[in-house]
Amino acid sequence: MPTQNLIETTDLTKQYGKVICVNQLNMQVPQGAIYGFLGPNGAGKSTTLKMILGLAKPTNGSITLFDSPVNEKNRIKLLADTGSLIESPSYYGHLTGEENLRIIQTLKGCPEQDIAKVLKIVRLEDARKKQVNHYSLGMKQRLGLAAALLGFPKLLILDEPTNGLDPAGIQEMRELIRTLPSSYGITVVVSSHLLSEIDQMADHVGIIRKGELVYQNTLESLHSHAKQQIAIRVNHLPIAIDILHQRGIEPTQENDYLLLPMVDDAYVANLCQQLVSQNLSLYRVEKREKSLEDIFLSLTGKESSL
Amino acid sequence: MNSIIKTIRTERIKLKRSPVWLAFFALPIISAFFGTFNYLNNLELLKSEWYSLWSQHSLFLCYFFMPALIGTYCSYLWRLEHTRHNWNSFLTAPVPIFALYLGKLVQAAIMIVLSNIWIFLLFYLCGRLSGIQSAFPVAALEWFVCGVIGGIVICCLQLLMSLVIRSFAVPIGIGLVGGIGGLLATSKGWGLNYPYSLYSMGMRANKPQMELDLMTFGIHAMGYIIVFIVLSVFYLHEHEMAAG
Repeated sequence: MPTQNLIETTDLTKQYGKVICVNQLNMQVPQGAIYGFLGPNGAGKSTTLKMILGLAKPTNGSITLFDSPVNEKNRIKLLADTGSLIESPSYYGHLTGEENLRIIQTLKGCPEQDIAKVLKIVRLEDARKKQVNHYSLGMKQRLGLAAALLGFPKLLILDEPTNGLDPAGIQEMRELIRTLPSSYGITVVVSSHLLSEIDQMADHVGIIRKGELVYQNTLESLHSHAKQQIAIRVNHLPIAIDILHQRGIEPTQENDYLLLPMVDDAYVANLCQQLVSQNLSLYRVEKREKSLEDIFLSLTGKESSL
Repeated sequence: MNSIIKTIRTERIKLKRSPVWLAFFALPIISAFFGTFNYLNNLELLKSEWYSLWSQHSLFLCYFFMPALIGTYCSYLWRLEHTRHNWNSFLTAPVPIFALYLGKLVQAAIMIVLSNIWIFLLFYLCGRLSGIQSAFPVAALEWFVCGVIGGIVICCLQLLMSLVIRSFAVPIGIGLVGGIGGLLATSKGWGLNYPYSLYSMGMRANKPQMELDLMTFGIHAMGYIIVFIVLSVFYLHEHEMAAG
């Protein structure tokens, strides 16, 4: 279990005019984690990540990266240990994939062999001599990831890296990201507006809504919020409630249903028998699940786009 | 220093296969053609051989073509970053902002030196093809050096404009108008107070025999260069370029 935080923000706020894009955000990204930064479009994910990278200046609050404050003085040192892919991949279309990587490699001052290594990781070796204008979107995205991986930094910040990819590309990118902490010791922050994506990649999650961090913990903990219930529908609810009370169960009523905490199959069978024996007509017995999606929606608000 | 070498190298990579080289070759040829044509059609008035030919070559070149060409160089250099979210990677490179800017400026300055070499080569060829037999004037070396310095002044101004204005064409248009304005400024004697005039003054455009106080010229040029560099780097620092 990682203990040290690689990124810590304190009351991080960004305001453009009267609009508060990021509001007093306290983000904590543990070392070695894959931190899923989840939120609807326009929630403030990119702005937060840009502030961490020094591309945008916070209106208020502070950021600590590798135990050093993010400021002009530390900028170069911190960026040397960070790789990033923000918004869409950056590239010079008239140059080949290899030339694009050479630019980053030169600026980062990392070994030349890294170019071949990262091209291999993202499986672009065969396209390295091709102009990037002729790459597919998926290839450009992979090139962006390769560029971010150059120098094998301590921290990788990926903003919606699967945007615009086809299902196979998404799967491939996901697999690749998942291996980074174990294979190269890289801590990853990956943002997405898709819960399923984060669910399959991350081990930590931060959920942002309208600039505010509404949830932050391990993904495991988020899963524990997912609840299972048994829903029963009969012709006469008060009698059923009485029966359940006698069994020591306090059901909640939702429309025409009674919701019970999750019980095992034998208990359900026994309960049904009892209800029928009391001359109740048993219409429905269902398993209800409060999915991760429901939790996400309740945290981010249903009005937000997903 | 190491960072500056890195950015100069990376900017050179970015200029590979650049369409800007087409303008680099074409515009001085057009200008030399017009100049030589004018010279050959007015031989009864233009009797000072190389000096006369230069007066015709430099007229079109310094007031019309070069300011637009420098504008094109500078717009292209920043356009590389203005498009395809490149500010994100450009500004997250672990090098000082000043070095990032200087990489652009050095490339633009190199292009000005190369342009001037090409211009003077065309001048020499046109002179010989026009039948000028006398020795090539030594003064041309001074025109060349002062021209490069004046060109760098325009370059610093155009880099600032192309940094602030995200459009490719607008700064080039301003450069063109600025260059033509230089004709007026120089004729009124305000040349040193107008950055676009320094290139034409340095090149002795249309007036090869003009006396130029090199010290005053150099001080003005240096002043403009420093001011435009400081403004550009300040803008890069303060403005959130990656915000779109």
